[in-house]
Amino acid sequence: MSIEFKLDGKTVKAEPGQTILEVATANGIRIPTLCREQRISKTTSCFVCVVKDVKRNKFMPSCASCPAEGMEIEASSPEVLDMRRTALNLLLSEHTGDCEAPCTLACPAHANVEEYVRAGREGDFLKSLQIIKERIPLPMTIGRVCPRFCEKDCRRNVYGKPVAINEFKRLAADLYYDSYMEELPPETGKRVAVVGGGPAGLSAAYYLRRNGVAATVFEAMPKAGGMTRYGIPEYRLPKATLDRELAHFEKMGVKFEYGRTLGKNLDLAELKSKFDAVVVAIGCWKASGMRCEGEELVTQGIDFLRGVIENDCKAANPGKTVVVGGGNTAMDCVRTAVRLGSPDVNCFYRRTEAEMPAEKLEIVEAREEGVQFHFLLAPVKVEKQGDKLVMTCRKMQLGEPDASGRRKPVEIPGSDFTVEADTIIAAIGQSAKVPEGVPTTRFRTVETVADTQKIADNVYAAGDCVSGAATVVEGVASGRKAALEIVGALTGNPMPVEHTVFVSRGKWQELSKDKLVFLRDNVSEADRAVLDTLPAGERKNSFLETTSTMSKEKVMKEGERCIECSCTDKHDCKLREHGECYHCDPLKIKGERLPVSYDTRHPLIIQDRGKCIKCTTCVKICKEVVNKSLLSPKKRGFYTFIGTAFEQGFPASCSECGECINACPVGALDWRHKE
Amino acid sequence: MSTNAAIKMFRVGMASCGIAAGAEPVMQKLVEQAGSVPVEPTGCLGHCYAEPLVEAVLNDGSSVFYGNVKEDDASIANILALGEKGRFVIPAVRKAKELVKVLALAGRINPTRFEDYVANGGYAGLKRALAMAPDAVVNEVKLSGLRGRGGGGFPTGNKWSFLAAKKADQKILICNADEGDPGAFMDRSLMESAPHQVLEGMLIGAYATGATKLFIYCRAEYPMAIKHLNIAIKQIYDHKLNVVNGRELEIIIKEGAGAFVCGEETALIASLEGQRGTPRFRPPFPTDKGWMGYPSMINNVETYGNIPLILRDGGAEFAKVGTEGSKGTKIFALAGDLKFPGLVEVPMGITLREIVFEIGGADPEKVKAVQTGGPSGGCIPVELFDTPVDYDSLRSLGAIMGSGGLIVIGKDRCMVETARYFLNFTHRESCGKCTFCRVGTTRMFETLERIVAGNGTMEDLDFLADIGPKIKAGSLCGLGQTAPNPVLATLRYYRHEYEAHVKDHYCEAMQCNSMVKLSLDQSKCVKCRLCIKTCPVGAISDDFVIDNTKCTRCNSCLSSCPKKAITRVKKG
Repeated sequence: MSIEFKLDGKTVKAEPGQTILEVATANGIRIPTLCREQRISKTTSCFVCVVKDVKRNKFMPSCASCPAEGMEIEASSPEVLDMRRTALNLLLSEHTGDCEAPCTLACPAHANVEEYVRAGREGDFLKSLQIIKERIPLPMTIGRVCPRFCEKDCRRNVYGKPVAINEFKRLAADLYYDSYMEELPPETGKRVAVVGGGPAGLSAAYYLRRNGVAATVFEAMPKAGGMTRYGIPEYRLPKATLDRELAHFEKMGVKFEYGRTLGKNLDLAELKSKFDAVVVAIGCWKASGMRCEGEELVTQGIDFLRGVIENDCKAANPGKTVVVGGGNTAMDCVRTAVRLGSPDVNCFYRRTEAEMPAEKLEIVEAREEGVQFHFLLAPVKVEKQGDKLVMTCRKMQLGEPDASGRRKPVEIPGSDFTVEADTIIAAIGQSAKVPEGVPTTRFRTVETVADTQKIADNVYAAGDCVSGAATVVEGVASGRKAALEIVGALTGNPMPVEHTVFVSRGKWQELSKDKLVFLRDNVSEADRAVLDTLPAGERKNSFLETTSTMSKEKVMKEGERCIECSCTDKHDCKLREHGECYHCDPLKIKGERLPVSYDTRHPLIIQDRGKCIKCTTCVKICKEVVNKSLLSPKKRGFYTFIGTAFEQGFPASCSECGECINACPVGALDWRHKE
Repeated sequence: MSTNAAIKMFRVGMASCGIAAGAEPVMQKLVEQAGSVPVEPTGCLGHCYAEPLVEAVLNDGSSVFYGNVKEDDASIANILALGEKGRFVIPAVRKAKELVKVLALAGRINPTRFEDYVANGGYAGLKRALAMAPDAVVNEVKLSGLRGRGGGGFPTGNKWSFLAAKKADQKILICNADEGDPGAFMDRSLMESAPHQVLEGMLIGAYATGATKLFIYCRAEYPMAIKHLNIAIKQIYDHKLNVVNGRELEIIIKEGAGAFVCGEETALIASLEGQRGTPRFRPPFPTDKGWMGYPSMINNVETYGNIPLILRDGGAEFAKVGTEGSKGTKIFALAGDLKFPGLVEVPMGITLREIVFEIGGADPEKVKAVQTGGPSGGCIPVELFDTPVDYDSLRSLGAIMGSGGLIVIGKDRCMVETARYFLNFTHRESCGKCTFCRVGTTRMFETLERIVAGNGTMEDLDFLADIGPKIKAGSLCGLGQTAPNPVLATLRYYRHEYEAHVKDHYCEAMQCNSMVKLSLDQSKCVKCRLCIKTCPVGAISDDFVIDNTKCTRCNSCLSSCPKKAITRVKKG
């Protein structure tokens, strides 16, 4: 005989034996659970499915509680949701694992590093390229010039050097970029104007087109590529390579109009009316001055580099050169000056080498090429004396750390001296020339609505003009984001929010080797593969690309060094799914995490105990469904774990049926091979 | 040396507590030297502070007690001569306040001798019960108003009627002797001192409910209780007392493997079945589906210990003692900062003040609070000591009756540290099943560790106050449902101590080492150098200055100083 009770204020019917969870589900009320599995006796362990019996003022697990006549059950009240959130936060607070690999998280574009490295390791570089292009439409360029955020967070840093991740991108692109064409959906008729053909604009156009939206790129310069073409020197990124890469965009149907500059021969209001949306991706093309007397006598770094490129690397010898600045642009300038034949190239930086923002490899190679570095110097004045320039400099010392965490240079009074040069180049910084009518931040960048790329109405912005001068991969990421926001707005289907709950074992700097989990077999102990680089003597005299793409064999072997940090269950983890749904935060509740403990002795099945939520579903499945009883809980309290008899691993009697794996709500039990 | 002719016999307290204090050699010496005067081992009288305890029973029926007896010849000779030295007199106030009923035979009989029990009214209750109809026995228990002594306080008669109403070919009666609370030893003492009393209660229960199989789930840490029970069971078999309802009942002792949670009824049943001792969701309740699926009923040792009295004297007589909602007497294990630790049996409704100050002899100037119910109970501040001790009053104060542990907390104890101490126990003893209990109690413990280490924040206090009730609400069994009590109760009554730890790094009780340094008052110092000799880390200089960077706050110097010149003071 069925009974009636109240569920969230609504009178509902229940059949005898039905649980509140079952009744709720039948009535369209979604109650999350981690430990309920229909085929086994109830475990009632996770308490994520709690509901409240209002009359008795009691919480109870809805997976096991049967309703009684006249009960009043709350399944969705704030108090109940708070209990569930707390249960999930408690589980997340002990959970040890990586929802996503640190390399993937570190990549500004969140390219799925682990997966494209795996594809490469297995020799499938076309697949590798496909994975890369889900996030990075310029793999040839980025494969050469990326500062490799991913490698800086690679767990192999714990012992030895990181996996040479970027070489996978470069090789995959070199092998298949020209021949591979994405499956493109038919155009929907929607059209978007992209102002600026640099990485951000190209990326926006690319992902718009991949989503069926036509894009027209309006480019101020005679060719597209933005700073990758006019800022990055030939020896780092040959323009022929860039041309190959950009040809693909036209093949995809992206239209380009060159020589169109916003505010000159391009009107934002007109674009807004003629197109369904506009992306402003105009970059940072205004160099920052040295802010000292005579600064007008100084050449701007980005202008210097652009001049050389526009002249096909045949510019005049700059003579004795002083470059002021310590970033990558400064390194590009000194190394370009060397290649133009300057016998005496100097880099002046106001802090020390340790604080230089430039990539370490760039500094090393510049030094090999004969560049002299001078630290703790700041320009005070520049004068012209005859056909020479004379710069007065002041010595500095390091003071207290500033907002960036780097120690601030402080002037030493009375330490001035002069230096003579033919060319002085300022490579201090860049900013955007924000066109009129576009809101600006106090950093003189384009202001967008918080956490979006949107400016207003149907106008979006992306790249350096929003973030300030940044890297190619960051530009690409922001262009993609703008594109997806536009697609969402145009179709009325906002893009699904990407994963927000990321449990992490921690940064490699906090870890030791015994804190790492090696679920993959035979992680190679070999040293990092080294890129073939031209000797300094050959580099100095030409603009030839300094490095060459690694061989397939070498890259595949390098892939064997990858630990594969990310969770085997990351696409199917209920803890993560509910955690996101309930806005949980793995760091909300402080405390010790589960110790590192894993078992990879079985050829097919792996167990990672740090991820176990102790629901004992696996134990019961094996006992009650498979009828084998190979698993059982051990120890007590926080250190409870699920183990096999006498810790001997899965015995031969295990039929490898996978029931325990399928039932595990998290990645504590899984197949060895990731998919 | 001959024994004083006035002495009829000797009794030596040979329960675990007596033996721990050195009763075995005393007993041996007495046997050797007492000549023809019999020397009987007996159980526990409850005066822990006076063990080893020897009773000289005189021919006129009166007794002379000797306390803290040493095994040396002079001490033994003194006893044999009925000397004045070392006589122990039960404090008058204790005598006045106590009401010894359940423990009446403890320390009075030889626990392993069947005849002793029978001669003192033993099995009279069973005899009377067998003459009644089973449902009349259940009604007698209902009438007594007896509530479960294990801590839950569920009316025993009702529980019995549930099992009695079940129709099944097997019904199981279980005695919960998994006494797990640190500082609680009521059940051990009863089992060691009067095992037949517990078994009689079980046999009456078996008759009343129609149970077919009897289990005693006793923790393995109680070897003497198990030994005495086994002896008693054999005697019961020999006397065919286990033939109830026409069936020969089996009484099985199952030794627990040391998990606190196995005191919880569903976990206990799982353990009895050979499974891992973890609780399960109720319903079904054990009386519907218990051991191996059969209807089962669990009562605590002390509960069974009350049954023979109820059947012997009648439920109405039993109910004359106690309060409206809590009938009879309760045994408490008194421990902590008081003069007379030990076992005490008092009528329900007695005030904490009477127990702690009058019976326990604690100094009212020095007591801060009392912890009832062991690690799952709560503290009650001295201001509330007029509270009558019964199930409902204690619950209303945020504490619980529990199984009977009663720990007196002195003013020199830090309440944050006390809470940390109890949580350290419970979070380890969580079975690991329920999220809230497993992770929540661990997080509470870690938070308390931070606070006593001087690294706490006000957010930590908010966290404790928030997570505590959630753990209680989100746990299946009594362990998780009560584990936050020590924290919540101390937060309720001593929040200022928590705040002082967090805001000012100040531990009022000067107990938390992270907030304390040692200070030597030169004006009191007599330069005896004892402190310098005692200090294990060489932290005291030749001119009597303590180097607090070396000092480990072990307090060795403090206790060595004859002039009390060294004190713990606030650091910084």
